[in-house]
Amino acid sequence: MNHYLVQVWAILRKDLLLEIRSLERIGAMGAFAVLAGVLFNFSIDTTAVRPDDVATGLIWMTLIFGGLLGVGRTFQLEAQDGALQGILTSPAPKDAIFLGKTIANFVLLYVVSILVLGVFGLFFGLDLGQNLGWVVFVLGIGSLGFVAVGTLFAAVAAGTHLKETLLPVLVFPLMVPMVIYGVGAMMPLVNGRPITEVEGNVRMLGAFTLAAVAAGAVLFRYVVED
Amino acid sequence: MTTAGMRRGGTVLTVLGLAGLIVLYWMCFFWVSTEVNQGVVQRIFYVHVPAAWTSFLAIGFAAVASAMYLWLRDDRLDRAALCAIEGGLVFATLVLTTGPLWGKIAWGTYWTWEPRLTLTLLLWFIFFGYIMVRNSTEDPEKGKRFAAVVAIIGAMDIPFIHLSVVWFRSLHPEPVVAKPDGPTLPGDMLATLLFGVLVFSLLFFGFFLFRYAVEALRAEADLRARSAT
Amino acid sequence: MIMKNTVFRSLILSLAGLVVTAAVTLAQEASGVPQANRLAEQNLRPYWHVFAAYSLVIIMIGGWAISIARRLRAIEDRWVD
Repeated sequence: MNHYLVQVWAILRKDLLLEIRSLERIGAMGAFAVLAGVLFNFSIDTTAVRPDDVATGLIWMTLIFGGLLGVGRTFQLEAQDGALQGILTSPAPKDAIFLGKTIANFVLLYVVSILVLGVFGLFFGLDLGQNLGWVVFVLGIGSLGFVAVGTLFAAVAAGTHLKETLLPVLVFPLMVPMVIYGVGAMMPLVNGRPITEVEGNVRMLGAFTLAAVAAGAVLFRYVVED
Repeated sequence: MTTAGMRRGGTVLTVLGLAGLIVLYWMCFFWVSTEVNQGVVQRIFYVHVPAAWTSFLAIGFAAVASAMYLWLRDDRLDRAALCAIEGGLVFATLVLTTGPLWGKIAWGTYWTWEPRLTLTLLLWFIFFGYIMVRNSTEDPEKGKRFAAVVAIIGAMDIPFIHLSVVWFRSLHPEPVVAKPDGPTLPGDMLATLLFGVLVFSLLFFGFFLFRYAVEALRAEADLRARSAT
Repeated sequence: MIMKNTVFRSLILSLAGLVVTAAVTLAQEASGVPQANRLAEQNLRPYWHVFAAYSLVIIMIGGWAISIARRLRAIEDRWVD
């Protein structure tokens, strides 16, 4: 077990280090988040709609679009330099590779999601003081679930000639439960309702994330074998 | 099963299915009683719902075949999945076209986010994604594996999608004039509905066998072409 | 073999008829009908929708059948070579 975790950590560490050194993906995703907030602000008629009614939904949509940007590049780097073959021929089990990549993507997306939360809270006038801990927790579960599905399909997309353009077609239909439960859990929390009211949604979101990570871990080996 | 056997089986099922379709049409137009609230447009229900169930049958079948393909690596299983997916796409398209035709009269709008329609829309994209992925790789073996993964994950997500959409709808109920698919469905309507499911399933499997024969012949022809060169 | 051709021909002809009917129906709906017909239209509209839906069933299933048959013939021709 220890050996397995070491391998997961190795992949995770490599990806995070690469990211910290270049700040490419996080920079792009962060800029996307802020600019999306700007555009959303101008796309809503604030006389007809209260901004804080739609803000939660827009946060999740920005996460999904921005997350897709980041996750699509997961295997790009390795594919370019032929490093993917190197990783795959290593004795590391494929699900360890998947978990390492997924957790690295999760860290990236989670950081961006906190940024989105802050920026959208600012732009749309949300009172983030209430239930902040739970809100951040729900964002975390959602990010992990999204990233698990996204990483698996990023590997699929990297092996096709359509590459990232294939990702939305594959990922978006599967994200419906995540959006429904995620927004369903977060909106009442942001509006100050107690956690007990949205427990069911949080649990379903957790179940979805668990299933996504497990399925990804099992199926990843079939995607990357040659 | 030999190709000839498949074609024979396919012919039997298709002929039965087509005969059943004629009987179904007769039942829908002349036998079953008109629904009180929605009137005559409710009859679309008898093709709309069986088509939906058939498309769900298709993804279930394809997911099981795909999982077994990844495990056993038998090309026949992959072929079976492909044929099921294609059939599923046809029936899902049918659901998404008959739904708005029904909805416009029954509920005043072409589209409604009711669970069955929403689920079928997403299912349509899962079918579409499968076919896209399968055809977009340089190495066809890769394409088969990728597509199998798409089918499995898609099928796994269906229960989540259904639960979440049902919950979402409970918060945002849209006015429904009548519930034609509740457990209180009258006897003749239930009979027509179930017969519709039977007929569509027969047609699905009948065409599936023919389609499978095409794929099997194609694979055999490719093999012969390759060994000839 | 001859039987198949006759069957296909009649199938295609009836499908074409259905398609034309459905197209005319939908075009009428979209373009709007003269005022005098509007009341009559309102009473008959559900029937058009039911007709269109049941026609779609035949069109889609028939279309798939024809598509499979064409591919089957193509592969059989290739087989013969």
